[in-house]
Amino acid sequence: MSLSRETIVEGLKHILGADSVVTDERILRESSIDRFRMFEDIHGVYTQPIPAAVAMARSTEQVAGVLRFANEHGINVVARTGRTATEGGLETAVPDSVVLDGSGMNQIVVIDAYNMQATCQCGVPLQVLEDRVREQGLTTGHSPQSKPLAHMGGLTATRSIGQLSTLYGGIEDMIVGLEAVFPDGTVTRIKNVPRRAVGPDIRHVIIGNEGTLCYITEVTVKLFPYLPENNIFLGYTVDTMKTGFEVLREVMVNGYRPSVARLYDPADGAYHFAHFVPEGLSVLIFVAEGPAGIAKATAEGIEAIVARHPECRKVESRYISTWFADLNWGPDKIAREREGILQTGNINRTTEVSGDWGCINDIYENALRRIIEEIPDITMAGGHSSHSYINGTNMYFNYFYNVVDCGPEEEVTKYHTPINRIICEETLRHGGAIVHHHGLGKARTPWVKDEYGSSYYILEGLKRAFDPKGIMNKGTIIPA
Amino acid sequence: MNAMRILVRFKVTPDYEALREADWAAGEGDCSDRSGAAEADARAGSGVASGVETRYVPRILDCFDESALEMALRMRDATASDGVPVDLGAISVGGREVEPHLKTLQALGYERATRVHVDAGLDFAPTVTASIIARYVQETNKTDLLMLGCRNGPDDAGTLPFLVAEELGWPCVTQVTEVMVLSDDRVRVAHMVDDGLLRVTVRLPCVLGVGNAVVARLRVPTLTARLARREAHIEHVQTSDLGIDVVSGLAGESYVLTGLEVVRRDRSGTIIGGQTPREKAQTLFDSHLKSLMGKL
Amino acid sequence: MRSLVVLDGTVGTADRQARALGAFLRDGSTGHPAAETLVFFSDDRDMGRLVEQAPTRGVRLVKTAERRPDAIVDILSAAARDAENQLFIFTGGYSGTELATRLAHRTGGTVMTDALSIEIGPERLTCRRPVYSNHMVGSFELAARPWCVSIDVSWDDEAAAARREHVVLSSTDETGAAGGPDETPFEDLELVEPPPTGDLEQSRFLVVAGAGAGSRDGVERIAAAARRMGAEFAVSRPVAMSAWAPMDRLIGVSGTRTAPELCIVAGASGAPALYWGIEKAGFIAAIDLDERAPIAKSADAVILDDGVAVIEELAEIIAPKRE
Repeated sequence: MSLSRETIVEGLKHILGADSVVTDERILRESSIDRFRMFEDIHGVYTQPIPAAVAMARSTEQVAGVLRFANEHGINVVARTGRTATEGGLETAVPDSVVLDGSGMNQIVVIDAYNMQATCQCGVPLQVLEDRVREQGLTTGHSPQSKPLAHMGGLTATRSIGQLSTLYGGIEDMIVGLEAVFPDGTVTRIKNVPRRAVGPDIRHVIIGNEGTLCYITEVTVKLFPYLPENNIFLGYTVDTMKTGFEVLREVMVNGYRPSVARLYDPADGAYHFAHFVPEGLSVLIFVAEGPAGIAKATAEGIEAIVARHPECRKVESRYISTWFADLNWGPDKIAREREGILQTGNINRTTEVSGDWGCINDIYENALRRIIEEIPDITMAGGHSSHSYINGTNMYFNYFYNVVDCGPEEEVTKYHTPINRIICEETLRHGGAIVHHHGLGKARTPWVKDEYGSSYYILEGLKRAFDPKGIMNKGTIIPA
Repeated sequence: MNAMRILVRFKVTPDYEALREADWAAGEGDCSDRSGAAEADARAGSGVASGVETRYVPRILDCFDESALEMALRMRDATASDGVPVDLGAISVGGREVEPHLKTLQALGYERATRVHVDAGLDFAPTVTASIIARYVQETNKTDLLMLGCRNGPDDAGTLPFLVAEELGWPCVTQVTEVMVLSDDRVRVAHMVDDGLLRVTVRLPCVLGVGNAVVARLRVPTLTARLARREAHIEHVQTSDLGIDVVSGLAGESYVLTGLEVVRRDRSGTIIGGQTPREKAQTLFDSHLKSLMGKL
Repeated sequence: MRSLVVLDGTVGTADRQARALGAFLRDGSTGHPAAETLVFFSDDRDMGRLVEQAPTRGVRLVKTAERRPDAIVDILSAAARDAENQLFIFTGGYSGTELATRLAHRTGGTVMTDALSIEIGPERLTCRRPVYSNHMVGSFELAARPWCVSIDVSWDDEAAAARREHVVLSSTDETGAAGGPDETPFEDLELVEPPPTGDLEQSRFLVVAGAGAGSRDGVERIAAAARRMGAEFAVSRPVAMSAWAPMDRLIGVSGTRTAPELCIVAGASGAPALYWGIEKAGFIAAIDLDERAPIAKSADAVILDDGVAVIEELAEIIAPKRE
């Protein structure tokens, strides 16, 4: 019934040409995972089923061809572009999967400065698009840490968010239209319009689907004027996280829209700010941007709010702008991270959740306390809030542990999953959301039904409707 | 058997790689009028004696010192069960930025942690630095093996280990890449020399300058280990306790930095056009590389 | 006033030392007083060759124990007692650093290592040398004499090895100076490997892979393409540290410094630490996806594309021409 690996490879070669079907053993092993299993990867241990091939698609038609082929023969397909996923979404959980790689679809189709939108294929690195639009004095407003490496397709499929989200929004606020291919080969295009009220907004079936419903081949995003000369950087120390959350809340509910609104706890902040922040303090950071008048008014409004909290003390703005300029993760940082993990066995992991203003501090405090109490070998546990909304904010838990007394293949089960469990349990208990912007991947899929509750009915319905044979990224979002 | 007492000297430096081009450019120019300013800076601890503003970037462990600190821990671990007991101490000359690192080292098992308090930027003052370290070693008389990274901050000169060794009258091996404890008074060392890698057995006391070792990263203590050593004592030493006057030492340094210029790396940066990798490669070859082939 | 150039013939790098010192005397120093070369040797068979390589006309020969910098420092300290000998010039690299530093300390003089150039005045010596991990060049004024200067490792020039007439001014045997084996704290010397990176240093055509190669496979494909083109292969620190290539391939501040005629950099952003290792290259071609990467400004020609793909295409073009 199911095809042999050889037959799958032959079928793919027929669709894509021999050069576009990768079967090199080492590449296949590396393609069975993402950064969720980087500890195994660094030690050369691969525990997931090895895919049959990596299929390099160059066009929407080729994507459609591969999906039709896979759908017909019940082959699991894992969609990817820039490979910066952190939550196991790119793991090939099923033997003889096909990894469908769209990084070769890297054309910027059009930059429309008049209508302030840009269209590009899924394999365009965000950095490339951003650099191109900046030449015209524009910006996408999207600036996740993975910007140097991540591609537009993957950023859309995982509902990514950038460091400037408090002003520009997440990717879901930026996408005006897109093209996606469904498992039966149907190519769908959603046209680019400012807004419409013609039934449900079906963009949201596609944005964040994590390759479980369709393959995103093209996206159109909004553009904004790029006015860095107006940026105003503000930084403050604050004695407690509780006060910090309160300041964030007041800034948001009073109608201010800084592009960056961040709050670091002492442990996480020490990694960034030890050169100017005394031990034990939390740090608030704001960037006001936009047209000069708006930036100025925003900064003044924030200053006035902060002034009402005597425990906040201002730090020199240049500390903040210098820090902000060196925030992104490129290949150099990733290589340095690998070196550190290999030599010390110390690894950095993160889990990001969200909650309303009423519960976020409880989620933060309880989860952190439990992590430190219940998990062995923790070397640092802390976190920050980096994306705020009128009704709440996110919490980005940041933690390091030494992997000891276990093999590389046990790292996830001994440390990472138990920590994720604590954070998900505490978040759900307080009414927050278990994933804020990395995507569920396979790592947090076990808690998806608790997250959705009765609305899981809709999610299941989508899966049944668009991927009836269940060939799309098995084990992600929908439990296997 | 006597314990081998190792003292590792480390330096906390600005992360120079986090400085931007504009920051370097701003530091350019004549520094000769700064000899007086250096003194003032020394007192203020602002660290701009050279003209390069480094205050705004994070502080990191010098990478060679980081190697030395981890190598000493591995020497202790290697001899823990049956060999020579190893007693570890760490020392740094600097301001408050050193303290978190000393706490980390205590949590990792460094029994002695010392800060010689100096606010001055000793960036271009290896002689003063060397005399502080040497005097501390002599005064305390608790060191058989002194280890330190080969570099002393941004002067990149590699002279510090030799200067300390000369002050102490101890032998010195630099560019060390590996160390093994043989007995309580002998270590086997591998170090880079200009014509290869030399292995040598050294009788203690001695100074080891650590170079480009494979062991490059310092392990990380758990929160539990930190908690257990939270109350551990950090020894604070004033340079005057060591009979050293830093300000006059700086003035007496036998050379002065008189100017700084940015290393301009700009070449023409001609972008080679083309649609495909093939096309671009061919254009590059035809326009530039073909004429170079004869020289290769 | 006289300057003494020190050629350490007791170790295996004398040829390179002679070339480097010759080039420095010719192009790196101004206001130079009369110079003589102090040639240290431990094997009589090396004597003739060393005299021939000496970068100055006047040569003084000193026989001493092998690999005993302490003995050389003792002998130089004695020479420094002659007030005429105010400037000592040492080769670049580790041994030059050691000899210059120790001599200065023992004689109350001033050490300056890694000199790019020196300017000698009556009272002061001015020296330019790299600082801040090669982000900047600093100018220094040296006061106390003797001035003990070791030159930057970038000094090297085949042409500076030109044979010249030599006069042997003196010849002494100081093999006893270091004392007997009981007095040395160093035992069981064993030169383990020849220079692991010698081929990189000498390379005229170099291909460098950076982390932008993306994977071990990418790095290996670049290495294979380099082989086909007859180029030496080197990597940036991130690549070496990811174990995508052996450490002896590492170039840059923490590895080898090279000066090839042609250097092709694939997928390395060109951070100063790496660039230091290639900045002496005659021609730098960079292949990088990011036109804003530092390398795009510090290369002669730039291809904006995937490093692996372009290198493989270049190999197709260049390999047949290099056979």
